Amino acid sequence: MNTFLAILTYFAYCFIIGAYTVKIIKYLKLPTHLRWELYPVIHEEKYAYGGSYFEKKEWWNEEKQKRYAKGILYLLKEYFTLGDYLTRNVLYWLGLFPWHIGFILIIAFHILCFFGALFMVLGFTISSGSPDLWGRILFYSILITGIVSFITGTVGSILIIINRIIDKSLRTYATPLNFLMYIFTLVVFISGLYSWYFIDPDMKEYREFWKGLITFHFVGVEVGTMVHIILFDLFLIYLPFTRSLHYITRLFAFFLIRWDDEPNRKGSELEKRLIKNLNQKVGWQGPHIGAGRSWNELARYDR
Amino acid sequence: MKIEDISKNTEQLVTIESKDLIPLPYPYDDPANEPLMKRLTDDQRMRYEASLDGIIAIGIPKPSSKEEEEVFVKKFLSGLEKLLTPENNWTFLQPLYHSLEYCVKCQICNDSCPAYLASGKKEIYRPTYRAEVLRRIINKYIKKRNKLLLRLTGSDIDLNWTLVARLGELAYRCTLCRKCAQVCPLGVDNGLISHEIRKIFSQKMGIAPKELHELGTMQQLKAGSSTGITPKALGNIIEFMEEEIEEKIGRKIKIPVDKEGAEILLIHNAGEFVSWPENTEAFAIIFDIAGIDWTLSSDLVGYDAVNYGVWYDDIQLARIAVKHAEIVKALKVKKINVGECGHAHKAMIVVADRILTGELNIPRESALPILADIVLNNRIKLDPERNNFPVTLHDPCNMVRLMGIVEPQRQILRKICPQFREMEPNGVDNYCCGGGSGFAIMQSMNFPDWRSAVSGRMKLKQILEVFHDVIGPDVKKYVCAPCSNCKGQIRDLFAYYNVFERCNIFYGGLVELIVNAMVDIKKPFIEWEWR
Ligand code: SF4
Ligand code: SF4
Repeated sequence: MNTFLAILTYFAYCFIIGAYTVKIIKYLKLPTHLRWELYPVIHEEKYAYGGSYFEKKEWWNEEKQKRYAKGILYLLKEYFTLGDYLTRNVLYWLGLFPWHIGFILIIAFHILCFFGALFMVLGFTISSGSPDLWGRILFYSILITGIVSFITGTVGSILIIINRIIDKSLRTYATPLNFLMYIFTLVVFISGLYSWYFIDPDMKEYREFWKGLITFHFVGVEVGTMVHIILFDLFLIYLPFTRSLHYITRLFAFFLIRWDDEPNRKGSELEKRLIKNLNQKVGWQGPHIGAGRSWNELARYDR
Repeated sequence: MKIEDISKNTEQLVTIESKDLIPLPYPYDDPANEPLMKRLTDDQRMRYEASLDGIIAIGIPKPSSKEEEEVFVKKFLSGLEKLLTPENNWTFLQPLYHSLEYCVKCQICNDSCPAYLASGKKEIYRPTYRAEVLRRIINKYIKKRNKLLLRLTGSDIDLNWTLVARLGELAYRCTLCRKCAQVCPLGVDNGLISHEIRKIFSQKMGIAPKELHELGTMQQLKAGSSTGITPKALGNIIEFMEEEIEEKIGRKIKIPVDKEGAEILLIHNAGEFVSWPENTEAFAIIFDIAGIDWTLSSDLVGYDAVNYGVWYDDIQLARIAVKHAEIVKALKVKKINVGECGHAHKAMIVVADRILTGELNIPRESALPILADIVLNNRIKLDPERNNFPVTLHDPCNMVRLMGIVEPQRQILRKICPQFREMEPNGVDNYCCGGGSGFAIMQSMNFPDWRSAVSGRMKLKQILEVFHDVIGPDVKKYVCAPCSNCKGQIRDLFAYYNVFERCNIFYGGLVELIVNAMVDIKKPFIEWEWR
């Protein structure tokens, strides 16, 4: 059983990293598209009111430096507050916010458990009375992230299910799989809550388990903890099949689409990519098109 | 209503009734006085697809046989496949892919949509509705998911002629204003979904509203302009404009045409020459007095800035963009300036930026910053008292939300209109006039009534609200809309509700207000005559 649990965990982590990587590569390999930005654009100096460099005469004479920090900060803030939802649908936010915080923290919890285990391998003691400062810091971080994650996740999952049922527009567009997902996450969080409350108030078992994974000396854990670990592993495996990657693709959508105001300058890398796109053959067969030619040729070919 | 109902063979999916529409402020606050939208005749219903909402925008002919139906559906599906391939849709695949894959159906975007809100929240106009239908078709017929997965992902939908035809019409119930996209926390763009559906219909099936395609891009490429103005006719129009200018300002101005090597090639939406020549005249007056070295072009396509391709067909978009660039190159002007036309701004300066490579990548800019420079730096003498009446500003989506040109027009109005006031919301958060994405020029059957009563309703509401304290006909008021298509829509919207007569609200462009304030001109330039 110990080995099974360890292999499942290795697999779950490898799987999610692999699957996410494949998806991200697929997204990023999509061709450079036409400009389709939406204002306000975050790195614009006139961001406050949504202005752009097109407000200036002969805008092409200005070399623009893109600043990413502001955009990243904006998105990070949104990740942790979900402010857009708060301002537009408070009821929905009341469920969504704890649900997301539950996610963020449960992942942080498992990562911290890994680091806790790593420190243990390096000879640190991880406990409330540890002589090492890092030992105490890790102990409390693991404990707090774990508990908060299990509680917020449980509350969030319940509220979000209620929300999707009582709000007509949310219900119309919800799928059976959405509800299965919410129930699944609820079970994951509740199992964590159960294991902490009834079995492992110090979260010691998780650290021992992770230590086993690092040293390849797999250890056993109580059934309750094991159930949570299995469920969490399954959750990780399931995630790539959901829209969960929106955590990352949202970043791309903002930087590569909504805020992409990069002008096409002669001789630039962008222009080279565009020329490649324009040299592809068009397969559309509308009567006015004249298929079989490249985009470039077609643009010069009137019908 | 369920999402999958779109493929059911019902007589009509949704009916728009006056009582459902969002209420308008005084003096339009009695729903009993709401004009009745034209009903289609039995003959029209028999001949064309009208089962979505009883409105016809495209006019898709009904099939005469089962085979015809099947061919139609097959073509659509094959177009959808193409839409998802990089070589055929490199132009928009990444944003489309994102919008199809990463919407979490939180429905946050719906309450931004003017058509959805104005209609009294009819399900079919919900921004997420079209996207969901398309997603389901892709899951079932392109990704070919198995039955269980279809059930679990709620993706079961029957693809048939009715669905495809309704979806085609539905793509023309969205003005591509992208207000929904602006509020989506995940960067999903449901406006783009409408745009992409339109592309399948045009690029694969050869179906598009006549005004956009046949009389639009095709006519522009052949005859020179979507208005039908030929280079020869342009010559007569320019002569007429010069005469009118002389009459209005008491001085002759020579409008430069095809002046090689000029600093600026000014390009208007040719609709201005036909419907609002005072706009093109005002430009000529301002540029002349400010001493700008400019010219118009009389070359085929060179005197019409419009590019309807941006609304429905990437290839037509590219063709017109390239034509514009070639003309500029041949004329050896330093740069091109786009007059008061929102979509032409967006198409020529922004979207076509990634089509025009090498020598075709000519400098392109909006005329608004130049106008702001002239006005703010007192390059012409202006007396704001001449514009001492309530003025509000409509923000054309293409120029503002989609391009970020927000302040130049405001700086001008603040300087020359003492009673300038803002609508709420404004700037990048504005509501579309209801005529975006080609609607303003689409005159099919009862569609103009729909775009007044539904898609333009939020704009009318805003206008009435902003003038609420002076709403009576005793005070003349002006809606400044620096965009030809918006003006066309506002004209029709006002006519539908009789706004000019009831409330004395006039509309027009920005340059007209500038010339109206010019000290050296004796007579008021704005004539306050409804045409
Ligand atoms: S488009 Fe965006 S805001 Fe609208 S439902 Fe989808 S995720 Fe939510
Ligand atoms: S683009 Fe505009 S009209 Fe279209 S769905 Fe979005 S908000 Fe509505």
